[in-house]
Amino acid sequence: MTTIAAPMASRPRRAPLSPPLVYGAAAIAFLLVLWFAATAIPGVVSNKVLPSPFDVVERFATLAADTFSGSTLFGHAAASLTRWLIGVTVAVGLGVPLGVLLAWLPPLRPAVTPVFELFRYIPPFAWVPIAVLWYGASTTTQAMIVFIAAFPACVINTQLGVAQVDSILLRAAKTLGAGAATTLSRVVLPVAAPAIFTGIRIAFSNGWMALVGAELVVGKQGLGFLISQGQINDSVSTILVGMITIGALGALIDVVLQRVQRLLLPWKSATTRPVA
Amino acid sequence: MTTTKAHGPTAKMDIRGVSKTFDTRAGAVHALDRCDLAIREGEFVVVVGPSGCGKSTLMMIAAGLEAPSTGQILVDGKPAGPAGPQRTVVFQRFALFPSETVAQNIAFGLRVAGVDRAERARRVTEQLEFMRLSQFRDAYPHELSGGMQQRVAIARALVVRPEILLMDEPFGALDAQTRTVLQEEVARLSREMNYTVMFITHSVEEAVYLGDRVVVMSSRPGRIKKEIAIPRDAGWRRLDIEEASSEPGFIELKREIWALIRTEIVRQ
Repeated sequence: MTTIAAPMASRPRRAPLSPPLVYGAAAIAFLLVLWFAATAIPGVVSNKVLPSPFDVVERFATLAADTFSGSTLFGHAAASLTRWLIGVTVAVGLGVPLGVLLAWLPPLRPAVTPVFELFRYIPPFAWVPIAVLWYGASTTTQAMIVFIAAFPACVINTQLGVAQVDSILLRAAKTLGAGAATTLSRVVLPVAAPAIFTGIRIAFSNGWMALVGAELVVGKQGLGFLISQGQINDSVSTILVGMITIGALGALIDVVLQRVQRLLLPWKSATTRPVA
Repeated sequence: MTTTKAHGPTAKMDIRGVSKTFDTRAGAVHALDRCDLAIREGEFVVVVGPSGCGKSTLMMIAAGLEAPSTGQILVDGKPAGPAGPQRTVVFQRFALFPSETVAQNIAFGLRVAGVDRAERARRVTEQLEFMRLSQFRDAYPHELSGGMQQRVAIARALVVRPEILLMDEPFGALDAQTRTVLQEEVARLSREMNYTVMFITHSVEEAVYLGDRVVVMSSRPGRIKKEIAIPRDAGWRRLDIEEASSEPGFIELKREIWALIRTEIVRQ
């Protein structure tokens, strides 16, 4: 888009840190100080209840290097990420097409919606017992829980996004000679893409949270399993390492997805400044 | 009620006995009543009428985007069939594809038609130049003003070389200054390229300035009430709209057409 770039002096300069980034870092630093203060000042919180940040960092190093409950920290994280990835891939792969179909073929809706709504209100954890009976304490079981947690957000947001595409665009495509397939791939899906991405984002985080929950109950590996082992071994610092890893990985997944979205939808993130 | 001069084999597009009734919850709404309108090749026909008279509905039927309750649309004497690049439409709300750049929007119809890459690039570039859009070829629609967006929409509709161009109040969503510029642009375009155009507006001035023939519709149910030929060789043809609209002949036509519409508004 060279033709519309603002005429700026092209002096190479280091980008200044954006204020949101500075504020975010400051808030996290503040929390850490508060945490440290609570553990350092005698008589506020016992180390047995809440270890200091340094204890947790130390524990993190140990868990990263040594095996605990079958794996290192990375082994547990990799196990969780694998199950999560399988579950969300299937959820997106089935959920997005189903959402498109529901929006594109209205007669399907009265048939599918009641079934879908019924299943949607069964919490993912309610599926754990039956999943265990079907698949045992396996990756399939965990991935199935992820799938169940992630699937509805994909379907609902895709359906909404596709249904909200302005019908005048469909008419324009028709008068230019486009058939249904071209209209779907070149007009409807790109326009609905932000909504679909929103669905995927929700699906990713729902899936991640449900997975950790399921791992607390069943399985011999994973971050949820790690924190449940921390509880059994009476090690609060292990639990905290697990919790922080779960939170950080979840946030990382979200950041990556937002980057991907910006890459795939340049017309959405482009400047809204009119140039003519 | 109307005697269309262009009936017969010479008509490019022939709207024959078109009526339209919509079923609504409040009952049947009779929108159009036996409309006949023949448009000759190279003719610029402007349809005016009070709001709600069904002129947009008539155009959507002409485009093949809506089915008439009775009657038919002929192009070159043959039933026109479903919507397609034979009759492209410029909509009031631009209807550009937001995820595509200006050049991609313009190339849309050519790609659908399977025009090869080199030929496509050539025609898009030519069209960009013709509509004075070259410097915006890689911009996205939301980065453009309304006037620029509508230029893109016109380019997108013209590049496929339609038999007839349908324009549905194309300048209705633009500010007054932009509208004036685009009116003059479209006048230039039809002079230079001799397109066959059906154009809908509620601006009488626009109708007189652009049209070879102005068709006045009655209030609902819409009928063709009267057709007024605008002389091609009128002295103000080559003036800009500001100057043209103060010429005596222009004022006379404007007054005549406006009187017809006023009667219809009062009758409603």
